[in-house]
Amino acid sequence: MIEIHGLSFRYADADRDALQNIELTVPDGDFLGIIGPSGAGKTTLVHSICGLVPHRRGGDFYGSVTVDGMDTVETELTDLARVVGTVLQDVDSQMVAASVDDELRFGLENFGVPKDEIEPRMAEALGAAGISDLRGRVIGSLSGGQKQRVAIAAILALRPKILVLDEPTGELDPAVSEQIFRILREMNERYGMTVVVVEQKIMLLSSYAKRLAVLNGGRLEIAGPVREVLKESGRLEEIGVNCPRVVTLSRHIRDLTGGKIAATVEEAEALVREVLR
Amino acid sequence: MTGFLDYVPGSSVLHRLDPLTKLVLSLGICVAAFVSDDLIFLLVLIALDILLGVLGGVFQKALRLLSGLLKLSVFLFLLQVLFVRSGTVLFELGILKITLDGLFVGARLVLRLTAATLPLQLLLSVTQLSDLSGVLVQRLFVPYKYAFTLTTAIRFIPVFAAEMSGIIEAQTARGVEFDTKNPVKKIGLILPLCVPLLISSVGKIHESAAAAELRGFTLRTRESQSKRYVFVPADYAFLIFTVLLIAAGILF
Repeated sequence: MIEIHGLSFRYADADRDALQNIELTVPDGDFLGIIGPSGAGKTTLVHSICGLVPHRRGGDFYGSVTVDGMDTVETELTDLARVVGTVLQDVDSQMVAASVDDELRFGLENFGVPKDEIEPRMAEALGAAGISDLRGRVIGSLSGGQKQRVAIAAILALRPKILVLDEPTGELDPAVSEQIFRILREMNERYGMTVVVVEQKIMLLSSYAKRLAVLNGGRLEIAGPVREVLKESGRLEEIGVNCPRVVTLSRHIRDLTGGKIAATVEEAEALVREVLR
Repeated sequence: MTGFLDYVPGSSVLHRLDPLTKLVLSLGICVAAFVSDDLIFLLVLIALDILLGVLGGVFQKALRLLSGLLKLSVFLFLLQVLFVRSGTVLFELGILKITLDGLFVGARLVLRLTAATLPLQLLLSVTQLSDLSGVLVQRLFVPYKYAFTLTTAIRFIPVFAAEMSGIIEAQTARGVEFDTKNPVKKIGLILPLCVPLLISSVGKIHESAAAAELRGFTLRTRESQSKRYVFVPADYAFLIFTVLLIAAGILF
């Protein structure tokens, strides 16, 4: 469980708060999507959960962040990392090795996973990320989507309770983005892993996440189950978050006939069928 | 398409050697190239480099580096020939003076440069970076922090090269003529780009450090690596060969 109370953070050289008085609780097994315009504080929020803020990104930190019972300010970064697996934004610079196998082995060796367990855990993580065929490949020769999945596999191999990702599909095409989110859903549903993901593509979030948190200018504007948040589509547009077209469509239908808000294309189709009937 | 410092997967004799042997062998060839003044011996060393390249299945890559070195070599050679003024004069025209000594010094410099550069590329072509840092830590007791720094530096070369070409493309799109034929003008255009490159590089390195730390970098000790390295007979053979090579370099 992640509990954030009254969190405000200002980077050392900044003249305004990157986060202002954030109140947010992420229960175990949640799949939370964080969305908001650029500069909203999404990355800062993610860094506060994994401990980079305030351990490695200096500044004024107020309030508290508790991850699995540990206060992030008092706990060493490495001890937090045993519970929170983090995939950072820039995929190229977070690679630590030259080959896929070494990339996965790095974390396992560091955290002292027994030697005979390393091999099966690597195979499992690569399988979960759908990249078993990349074994033995040189990282420099991989595509963006493949690298992103290697980065995710390297974290999955560590079996974190909480998985945190900062725009994992930032530079990927829609089909590959879907693949990444399918991996996340699988981890969330099958292993009960808590997933927190920053994502710009709201359609992906509304199809895969359970809850949404909308940030704007460092404040948490709306947080709640996906459907609840999408109901506020007018406010979302004000903030600068584009609503999925199906949401806008169903809002118009609702205005005409009453009914619910569709979060996915399938639901919108059902809604339209109902109206046409 | 792999870069000229990238590892080339394979199963040749060289690939199977202990990383420490390969490190010693390549540094040994460099040392031999620097202690010897004999042109024939330097040529033999270059031939050996190429032979090893063939053995390791990276002949094409070695050739590419050779052709790259050729341009630099011609330049260095001419520089030496024109500036060394002692020895028997072969040709004189005004202040231009070419001497036998100049030819020798130039040839030696160029051959030495080539003989000493090739084995380092060969080393990186047939050795995984993790193995290189692995033996440094396990066998030579280098702290992991420094071994990691070394391998990261090598790994980041292509990343920075990509960054640089990205910056150049962005500037070209705004009308900067990087395709100019004039090399002096070109250097003048590229130099200011070092500032944005430096800034973005420092950012990347910060992120890289954070990522490594989030995966337990600070916990890593000499015992962490699961792979162990052992010498096989071939390793001893290559080590003896290296010693002989350096001895020959001192003799000639």
